[in-house]
Amino acid sequence: MAASSSFPFPSRHPVRTSFSVGAIVLIVFAFVPAIAVVVVSFTNLKGLPNLPVDWIGIENYARYFGPARRSDNINALTNTLVFATLATVFQIGIGLAVAILLNRPLKGRNFYRSIVFMPTVLGVTVTALIWSLMFNTSGGPIQSILNAFGTESAFFGDDNIALYLVVFCQVWMQLGVTVIIFLSGLQAIPSDLYEVAGIDGANSWQRFRYVTIPMLAPSITANVLLGIVNAMQSYQLTYVLTGQSNKATQLLSLQVYEQAFGNAQGRQMPGATQGYAAAISMIQFVLVGAITFATLWYLRRREAKL
Amino acid sequence: MTSSAKSASDPILTLAAKPDDFATRKLHKKHRPIGAYIAVAVIMIIFLFPLLYLFNTALKSSQEFITNPVGLVEHPQWSNFAEAWRLGAFGDYILNTALYTFAGASIGTFIALVMGFPVARKYIRGGKLWNALFVLVLFLPNALMTQFHLLLNLHLYDTRIGYILMVGVGVGIGPLLFSGFVKSIPTELDEAAAIDGIGYWRYLFTFVFPLARPALATIFILQAVWIWNEIILATVLLSDSSKWPIATGLNAFKGTYSNNWTLLAAATMIVAGPLIIGYIFIQKYLVNGVVGAVKG
Repeated sequence: MAASSSFPFPSRHPVRTSFSVGAIVLIVFAFVPAIAVVVVSFTNLKGLPNLPVDWIGIENYARYFGPARRSDNINALTNTLVFATLATVFQIGIGLAVAILLNRPLKGRNFYRSIVFMPTVLGVTVTALIWSLMFNTSGGPIQSILNAFGTESAFFGDDNIALYLVVFCQVWMQLGVTVIIFLSGLQAIPSDLYEVAGIDGANSWQRFRYVTIPMLAPSITANVLLGIVNAMQSYQLTYVLTGQSNKATQLLSLQVYEQAFGNAQGRQMPGATQGYAAAISMIQFVLVGAITFATLWYLRRREAKL
Repeated sequence: MTSSAKSASDPILTLAAKPDDFATRKLHKKHRPIGAYIAVAVIMIIFLFPLLYLFNTALKSSQEFITNPVGLVEHPQWSNFAEAWRLGAFGDYILNTALYTFAGASIGTFIALVMGFPVARKYIRGGKLWNALFVLVLFLPNALMTQFHLLLNLHLYDTRIGYILMVGVGVGIGPLLFSGFVKSIPTELDEAAAIDGIGYWRYLFTFVFPLARPALATIFILQAVWIWNEIILATVLLSDSSKWPIATGLNAFKGTYSNNWTLLAAATMIVAGPLIIGYIFIQKYLVNGVVGAVKG
């Protein structure tokens, strides 16, 4: 916007100093480990610090795509994509409906908004424990409802639905963020647009389709991107809900954790293969980047059309 | 809803249609739609019932939970909380978490301030590159193993400082959000301050800081929420369990008492309690703050 290239202060030194302090922390603790992942993915780094580290080229990648682990890796990849897609779609769909509902002048709507946002604050472990209890197989509330209909379910123990239940928990936990982004978008829509649409004889569906949706395009883009990036990278929920090494809910990032640290609680495992874990991490990084940019490109093009 | 497609040729009809067509908000105020309230009620049940059920379970004796898992508690066992607190060593964990959350979120907010401002103002060379890096932070690959080795080499493994620095940069969205917010601070203010002989440091902390308080508070809270709930980095970077934050402690507690739901529910309530209470105090600020930050 305004030409801000001119520098008003007498000296650039303090700017550089303060900037550098922040930049060093960010570079050392965020960028260096990230770049090191690239390097490590071409080595046979183990968990133990004293073992020799050799450059092994693309062996880790060959191993990932190789036949020995193919079915496991395809399984984790499919789970990740299903999880991310469903979580994003439900978050956007339900989130938009809830945001529109909570944008209406209902009595106590600030309270409702706060409640919807609360699980985000409660976080992964509490959310996972709450829903483990709700889906408790020995007489939990949801089991009781199912019993009333004469059926039962092993819930997280049932490989056919475990992943979908994790999606449900993820949506429950993240919905508030989506709703808030949509609410801020809805509040930015000038009400005269609805008035004009009304004069033109648009019914409520048409007003939604031709006013709300186009005006919300930036919020939709933001939510889709946040949803994808979050869901593609998240695994803490699965980690707490269904434990590790559960094939039905195995995700890419959980594989990274397992390969790097095994089952040990933070201790270095002789069997841990961190070079291989780094390769999985890179594959995930490329996948997240590709999907995000493809989505962004598509949404931007749509935004331009609307 | 209203069928407002009225023929515009009939002036009386058009007039009659006006309250319908204009200001839909006012319309909603007049007839409070039952359907909307039913929908809200359903949402509230989905979001509140699990918490109430958790609380209900936390108050039961194991015997009562086995015989009647779903029903309302008859003989509240408040001692469950004391028991869970003692067995889970949550006292230490809460202090750790408070320290990590406050220190980590402060570092993250500080970085957002000192980096976001000059980049947004183009007071720094390579501003575009930095902006790109701020976005890239969100996509960085899962670096658990290299973070582990970095701290090992810096002799910060299994230290509170190492963990704090790692979680301090963990939420990379701060500088991005802040540089967006800086656009709402007029550049004339910078110039006026400079003419009055106010140095950059002083300007940043005594002028920009108070002006940007809503944005900085949002950034701080977003990071604090993330750090409070972080479990994996803590497991990987802190081997000594007495340094763990409470979420990791709760996860370990779950591993030990996975079959004792009354105790586990009490432990979960202990962890959720401070979050809920804290949230009640900041919710308005948080919800509005995030709306504002996203808009900016």
